[in-house]
Amino acid sequence: MAQTEQKKRGPSDSGILVVTQTKPPTANCWSCGAMRAAHFCQQCGKVQPPAPVDYFSFFGLPYKLNLEPDKLEREFYALSRHLHPDINAVSSDREQQWSLEQSSQLNDAYRTLKDPITRTEYLLRLQGVQLEEQSKAATEEARRTGKVKKQVVPPDLLEQVFELNMQLEEARMNKKMGEPDRNLERELQDTKKQLQAKYDGMMAELHAAWNEWDTLVERTGQGDTVLEDDRLAVRDKMVDVLNRRSYLRNLLRDIDEVLESQ
Amino acid sequence: MAYSDKVLDHYTNPRNVGSLDKASQEVGTGLVGAPECGDVMKLQIKVNPTTNIIEDAKFKTFGCGSAIASSSLATEWVKGKTVDEALGIRNTDIVKELSLPPVKIHCSVLAEDAIRAAIGDWKKKNGQTQTQGQPQSVAVEQRA
Repeated sequence: MAQTEQKKRGPSDSGILVVTQTKPPTANCWSCGAMRAAHFCQQCGKVQPPAPVDYFSFFGLPYKLNLEPDKLEREFYALSRHLHPDINAVSSDREQQWSLEQSSQLNDAYRTLKDPITRTEYLLRLQGVQLEEQSKAATEEARRTGKVKKQVVPPDLLEQVFELNMQLEEARMNKKMGEPDRNLERELQDTKKQLQAKYDGMMAELHAAWNEWDTLVERTGQGDTVLEDDRLAVRDKMVDVLNRRSYLRNLLRDIDEVLESQ
Repeated sequence: MAYSDKVLDHYTNPRNVGSLDKASQEVGTGLVGAPECGDVMKLQIKVNPTTNIIEDAKFKTFGCGSAIASSSLATEWVKGKTVDEALGIRNTDIVKELSLPPVKIHCSVLAEDAIRAAIGDWKKKNGQTQTQGQPQSVAVEQRA
């Protein structure tokens, strides 16, 4: 598939993604010969062989991060109506197989793009960023140089996460013993508010980075030259937010869990 | 996903949970995190100033079973080693010992990071520069 192809590329040469887009090949319908839409023939309605495209291209979308969820949903249902295996149940084996493959690609694409976070992560992956590989690469670098590994999130955030987890553990323990510590719980309530505000701020940062990214994509579309440094700067901004976000998300979830289990 | 017996053993019966005096000259503290899952791990070592041998190690990890098991194992392994020997512990050794599946490899990376960070902190406190060149390679029992 196209995205596995992209994954293997280094971050430096994946810049072409901003410029060119893998379009589903426009060929003629294998069945009736009419010019077909990407996934099914608009003339005769037959499912077409799946094309190896990334999720944005599957929906015919540019590599932008702002998208209209309603429109995506409508598109998803519209395509489902043509591609679903139930609809193609009486077709030939070959067509049923295509229908199955197209539908599962459609579902994966929809699920990934619908959620703002997975959408961002997916785009970053297309851009050569491997979030899960970052940490490993930094460890290898530390090993090689004998220096202490640079953590991908600020140390004070890690401190805060650790301290708060200690508090949560205490609160859980007290509750288990039947002696909930009301002061501690009030403190956790306050902390939760602060963290929520921080989280919201982080999401605002992410949206600002989305806008910057989309502007770059638009400029490229208009034939402007976008500097590699600009692209990498926005990309890394998003990586940074996503890394910090996972800690806050866990903390908020855990605080809720402790406070709600009354 | 099923945990291996060794992970379960460390998880249900973690070794060396706790903390050492962070302010002590002999203690090095490493606090590391895995953004993939939001786990945090604190690992501390107490080093004998004349022999450079790690005499005690404690950890506290907030994370999944594999992260807890990896750090528990890490404290067991560093004890009795010199700091330079401890720097030879690789995440792959931990993966092998605990039979961690690919999705949990980052837990072992976290444990190696924690050892490295604790030693780095101790060295800084004791006015030593970071290891020059390659850390001394050492045979962890499981690697031989």
